[in-house]
Amino acid sequence: MQNPNLLLLPLMAASTCSSSPCVAERRGIPAASFVEDVETYLKQSGLDVSCSLAFLQERLQQYKIVEMKLLAQQRDLQAKIPDIEKCLDIVATLQAKKGSGEALIADFEVSEGIYSQAIIEDTESVCLWLGANVMLEYSCDEAKALLQKNLENAKASLEVFVADLQFLRDQVTITQVTGARVYNWDVHQSRLAAKET
Amino acid sequence: MQQGEGSETQVTWEDQQNINKFGRLNNRFHELEDEIKVAKEANESLEDASNELILSDEDMVRFQIGEVFAHMPREEVEGRLEKMKEDASKELERLEEEKESVLAQMAELKKILYGKFNDSINLEED
Repeated sequence: MQNPNLLLLPLMAASTCSSSPCVAERRGIPAASFVEDVETYLKQSGLDVSCSLAFLQERLQQYKIVEMKLLAQQRDLQAKIPDIEKCLDIVATLQAKKGSGEALIADFEVSEGIYSQAIIEDTESVCLWLGANVMLEYSCDEAKALLQKNLENAKASLEVFVADLQFLRDQVTITQVTGARVYNWDVHQSRLAAKET
Repeated sequence: MQQGEGSETQVTWEDQQNINKFGRLNNRFHELEDEIKVAKEANESLEDASNELILSDEDMVRFQIGEVFAHMPREEVEGRLEKMKEDASKELERLEEEKESVLAQMAELKKILYGKFNDSINLEED
């Protein structure tokens, strides 16, 4: 028996998908090709039923791994967006207070469960934590612009992740359906064979 | 071609696309259920907060903005809460509407797919 993994990748790509808008991959995720006819597909790929099922199963596993990775990244981003919104909120509050003559009195957490009081007088600037142990002072307007941009970027990449996941799930569905069809075809063939004898 | 077993209905690319679409909608449906749950909780919390505010007799209340609790006059907090409540209920409404539309599209696809494949296909949740 030949090794299905080595053999099948190029063959799968070459197999039938005439009528379909075939995208070969999306951001590193290989597309699953749709099989028009099971018998032709098996003949073309030179595989028997169990090899083909094993290959599809393996593909499915690979897709699942990518899906988990994407979901984790998506969750990270989804958590980041409210954080940025919170920052924007406080910057806006500081800006609104400015010029009103009164200070912003705020209770802040010093350590877990311990709060102290801060009086923030008219302020022109805030410091933004940029990560990698760097904090930079920005004027309120600049800080707002930067946070706004970060928010937009985060939302845009979230959209990309959502689209990636959709693409991936389509490939999973195609692979599952193909698997079921190969299996059904096999059952059908053996029934036909049984009838003949 | 062959018939009788029910398992040999030809699956076309169009069918496959419908199945994909159904899968996507089903996924979105579950996401929406979660999102609606979260949105409902947010609505309730805001409702609770404004009820508490009515009961309290303090002029200055501590209102959480970002990570800190800002001391704010109660009228201002009332205004902010109203705005937040409005946004939250709009969001919930939007999610509910999307859920309806997803369900309608799923029902439509079910009709098509069951029509073609009968019991060879199962589109129900386990």
